Amino acid sequence: MKRSSRIALVMMGTSALTLSACEEPKTDTAIFETVEQCIAEQGITAEQCYGEFNAAKAQHAEVAPKYASRADCEADFGAEGCEVSPYRTNAGGSVFMPLMAGFMMGQMMGGRAYTQPLYRSGDDGKNFRTANNRSVGGAIGRTQVAERAAGRPAQKLYTQQRGGFGARARATGFRAGA
Amino acid sequence: MERLPVRPRDNWREVAEEHGFTFHTPDGERYWDETHAYRFTLREIEDDLEEPAEELEQMCFEVVERAVGDEEVLGRLAIPEMFRGYVADSWRNRERNLYGRMDFRYDGTGPAKLYEYNADTPTSLYESAIFQWVWLEQAMEQGLIPEGADQFNSLHERLTGAFGRFGIEGPLHLACARDTEEDLGTVEYLEDCARQAGLATRRLFIEDIGLADNGRFTDLDDEPVRWLFKLYPWEWLMEEEFGSRIPGSGAQFIEPGWKAVLSNKGLLALLWEMFEGHPNLLPAFFEDDPKAASLGGRYVRKPLLSREGANVTFVENGRASTGLDGPYGAEGFVRQALAPLPSFDGRRPMCGVWLVASEPAGMCIREDESAVTTDDACFIPHFILD
Repeated sequence: MKRSSRIALVMMGTSALTLSACEEPKTDTAIFETVEQCIAEQGITAEQCYGEFNAAKAQHAEVAPKYASRADCEADFGAEGCEVSPYRTNAGGSVFMPLMAGFMMGQMMGGRAYTQPLYRSGDDGKNFRTANNRSVGGAIGRTQVAERAAGRPAQKLYTQQRGGFGARARATGFRAGA
Repeated sequence: MERLPVRPRDNWREVAEEHGFTFHTPDGERYWDETHAYRFTLREIEDDLEEPAEELEQMCFEVVERAVGDEEVLGRLAIPEMFRGYVADSWRNRERNLYGRMDFRYDGTGPAKLYEYNADTPTSLYESAIFQWVWLEQAMEQGLIPEGADQFNSLHERLTGAFGRFGIEGPLHLACARDTEEDLGTVEYLEDCARQAGLATRRLFIEDIGLADNGRFTDLDDEPVRWLFKLYPWEWLMEEEFGSRIPGSGAQFIEPGWKAVLSNKGLLALLWEMFEGHPNLLPAFFEDDPKAASLGGRYVRKPLLSREGANVTFVENGRASTGLDGPYGAEGFVRQALAPLPSFDGRRPMCGVWLVASEPAGMCIREDESAVTTDDACFIPHFILD
């Protein structure tokens, strides 16, 4: 046979719709604003709390979203919600990022969550958000969150400039594909 | 090889929508056309198209091998000086390639002749891999074509397999230019294949790519782009504002940089120079090569970097006729011996043979009324039946 024995599409067409309707699996974790809250939680040692907090704090600057101005950052994370990041703009100016508002415990809570910093946005201050901007609820202490939201956060760079590709497609009027 | 009338499936438009084939009739112009089909024998497919494509691919590798070791050859291909090292490194580092399409003149008699190799940004992929496959199954089921027919089309399983072998960790980004439904359809399909290979994917437009302070490219979430499938030609990327940042970006491109050697009409002249007389090649020369005179008054003049037949001139008996106007030619030309597309009931089919990871993987036939296959051509399905 010179043809594929089967074909499948998981995203294109109508079959993809049924897939996304499935309920998302949840995973066990715990969320705290401070190390003290963590230590007060039964069954977790102070040493574990410091370990998890420090692991989250260490990722903070790398994974938090980046902004060229404090005003842009505060528009998303509220007044007094931002700090200066270790990054620099082309012109040598400061790059801003939201303050770390809490942390999520990792696999020591028995689930598949990844230890990570959490944030609070200005327009949804009751809930925590991951660095990947996924809401994980407002509960302090042991909780369950969507497994997809609790994965390892991606690094966020400070983008100096966009639009440096695409000029020829606009100028020639020809398709890029052939 | 014959062109046969076939009754279209009553509900093919609905089937198309169900399968995400949204560009079957772009701007009201027919593109997918199942009122006819081409029938091939298995021998025609295997001996005349599949095997030659495999052999030509090996010959192309020899051209790349030579080009990356010879500054002068890269210069003749109009590859900018600052990218010559990058292109050579991508080859020496054995960066994997995903796919390409060789376009042939073939009519069922005599050897197929290579017109050109779309090695960098070919489209018509989704309709070749999926919709043509679905057509075959349903046309047999509905008795529109004989039972037991087959098709030269292992594209889907090969694409899915190839994505799994790149060694991609973290997300694969896939980009095309804005406002082109057909390019978007190709990228959506490849994203689907990548997902089926177990990869995490992110889609974006080429215009949205950002540049971070550490020299990395970023997506709209400011996440670094480490693996980028780009349906956007290398010769454009190299010339644009961010082009000079590609070598230092740490991003792996699919197709890799060395495809710039193959998706260039200069390839045709280099192939003829190295494999003169090969039955699947047409004589071709760089225009400034004195040997170009041997073509006499019958040749096709192609800009090195032309797309969709733009700025291609047909010269016959001293008469020149140019197809589509376009912006190409300043980079140089090749002249290729004239071998007009065959005519089947006044329609002119071009046989495109697909390669996935450099192995022959399928075929698409695009038909035009004119001598140059352009973006207005129709896609006609094919089947194999002895």
